[in-house]
Amino acid sequence: MSADAGSSTPLDRAAILNIVKEQLAEILEKTPSDISETDSFTEMGADSLALIELVEALEEKLATYVPGFHIDDEDLENLGCVNDAVDYVAAKLQSA
Amino acid sequence: MGGDFAPSEIIAGARRAVDELGLEVILVGVPELMGDPLGLEVFACTEVIAMDDEPGGSVRKKKDSSLVRAAELVRDGKASAMVSAGNTGATMASALLRMGRLPGVVRPCIATPIPNPGGSPCILVDAGANSECTPEMLVQFAQMGSAFAKARYGIESPKVGLLSIGEESTKGTPLVKETHELLAALSDFNFFGNVEGRDLIPSPVDVVVTDGFTGNVALKTLEGALKYIFGAVLGVINTNDATKAAGDVLFEHLLPIAGELTPDKQGGAMLLGLEGICIISHGSSNATAIMNALRVASEMDKAGVVEKLRLTIRPDQG
Repeated sequence: MSADAGSSTPLDRAAILNIVKEQLAEILEKTPSDISETDSFTEMGADSLALIELVEALEEKLATYVPGFHIDDEDLENLGCVNDAVDYVAAKLQSA
Repeated sequence: MGGDFAPSEIIAGARRAVDELGLEVILVGVPELMGDPLGLEVFACTEVIAMDDEPGGSVRKKKDSSLVRAAELVRDGKASAMVSAGNTGATMASALLRMGRLPGVVRPCIATPIPNPGGSPCILVDAGANSECTPEMLVQFAQMGSAFAKARYGIESPKVGLLSIGEESTKGTPLVKETHELLAALSDFNFFGNVEGRDLIPSPVDVVVTDGFTGNVALKTLEGALKYIFGAVLGVINTNDATKAAGDVLFEHLLPIAGELTPDKQGGAMLLGLEGICIISHGSSNATAIMNALRVASEMDKAGVVEKLRLTIRPDQG
């Protein structure tokens, strides 16, 4: 179930995964299908600046669902792979 | 408005760029910290990213800092380029996050011109932006470095060398050997082969490609060695009356060489691969270095370097 822009319905996990993969693929010049949930950011070649790019892109994208959606920089170091990011975003959206 | 001698030397360099080069310069900074802007236009902001601030985090937290605002001026078309002698990592982060990457560019890289007495500088890419690289990233750095040398210095077919520990293609780390294979397979690309650290100055090539960690170590080693040699020569000349007399004779011949090798003349390093021009000046930049950095920024804009890099990475966008 993926919500439309402006909807108050939270995104489900599959939709969040798609968004994370799409944004990551754009940043790393890959195709989303090349990225799996268990891929680590380091192994994909995502350095600290790439992760900041990802955070900014996710904040912009997800703000259409939850206005003011924000990712804390302090939480970044706990995100090692795609799954971590998806779980983190899902939890944030849930509590929003 | 960062740098070891900011704000006075930065403002003085900007003023000279206006007076001597006829450029338009906007100072971006906190007015209360800037002092006298010497009649230059000021874009006021309220925050400063310090030299020791964490790059990515500080750009996100300090949205009204001079670095972020300067990058936004370029993004919004209100400035043609940004120049900073402040926190290098934060300069790169603000330029990357606000201007964005050119389509197809995986990671931007730092291109540093290394003086090549009597000729065009040798461009070292990457001089410190990306510590860990893949062979594909190095190939893209090489392509951007080549396009930059062509656009900036008018070199028709820049010779590109790969930094290694021997000339033979079998020498080097797995990264170097795999990159060598990929570069050698490129068509319409002047790959010279491997070069060594001793080939940086004078250089047989126009561009030297390496990963950011190695490039930064090589650059700083070169800077340190040159600084030591200049000091040692001056020390010898000042030894006694006889050497001072010899120095009087030699000085007029040595000064032009020293002038060519000083980093102040080059103005700074260029960030390649972004949707805008960003010059990263040395932290110890004086007014002359800042003026030259502004000159380089203006020349890059006039040469259409960004568009030429765009076409290099994505030829179909022409």
